[in-house]
Amino acid sequence: MHTMETERLIDDYLRRLEDAAAHMQKARRAELVAEIRGHIDTALRQEQAADEAAVRNVLDRLGPPEDIVEAAQPAPDAGQPVGKLEIGALIALIVPFIGWLVGAVLVFASRVWTSRDKVIGASLLLLPIVLLGLSVVATGPSGGEDSAPPGDSRPVGEKVEDPLDPAPVGLVLMVAGLPSALYLGWQLRRGAAVSRTESVRG
Amino acid sequence: MWCMEPGETRSPLSQLRRGTLEYCVLALLRDGERYGFELVRELSDSAGLVTSEGTIYPLLTRLRKDQMVTTTWRESESGPPRRYYRLTESGDAALASFLKEWARFRDSVDAILNGRKGDAHHGD
Repeated sequence: MHTMETERLIDDYLRRLEDAAAHMQKARRAELVAEIRGHIDTALRQEQAADEAAVRNVLDRLGPPEDIVEAAQPAPDAGQPVGKLEIGALIALIVPFIGWLVGAVLVFASRVWTSRDKVIGASLLLLPIVLLGLSVVATGPSGGEDSAPPGDSRPVGEKVEDPLDPAPVGLVLMVAGLPSALYLGWQLRRGAAVSRTESVRG
Repeated sequence: MWCMEPGETRSPLSQLRRGTLEYCVLALLRDGERYGFELVRELSDSAGLVTSEGTIYPLLTRLRKDQMVTTTWRESESGPPRRYYRLTESGDAALASFLKEWARFRDSVDAILNGRKGDAHHGD
């Protein structure tokens, strides 16, 4: 029923649709293309004509593939702009203790990050802290004997290798919030890039 | 770098159309289920409502995700199976509350556009 030329027209149209939808989730893209393909088939069957003019009419009525993809994207106001809250959260996350708390509260209050990002961000923050806590507990008994402050007058040689040297602990504390802050910051930049391409597309 | 809102440049009504179209879909489903092609053609046959038929399919997908409609595949006598759309309870409720708001909105816009309220001031 379809000639080579009409076949080519339809294929070209669907390929344009796939290209325009390249950024969409694979499953959603496949569904959209299948729906449009089904529409073309039904329309041609209903008109009982599949000559070139009929195909062109059906494709014209469908509209440009780029418009269809644009309609599949969330409404423009769904993406929240990155504001002071998010920047504040990232800075707070780097500051040990109180900063972690404030940062975590701000991150969960934000509407920019997805729930998934928030959970990953929180895990990345908790992981170094928990590891640090575990190493304190693990070395606790051995450290019990020389629990004296570092300024103790004992000869240095007596000290067994101590993983809980104040310097490394401080260092770990300083950088504990970094993985989380870096991850969340990276997600912000990615989100900003996506919304930029969305507005340019319009 | 261009930063236009999608669709804004095309027509002053495109944003309004975008917002109301989904309720037109829900309204078409009030009397029972229909399949996608049927919905699309009915909407596009109403003048001025839809410029590109293809843009309705993403809307149907969104309504399904938002659980305003449910879908069922059914065999067709002429051709491959069709996906039928049916209104859910929450879709029905959303439509009812939109109808109320819309009637008020439409009356207010009409009244101002037609100058009925400002007649006294404008005289002639």
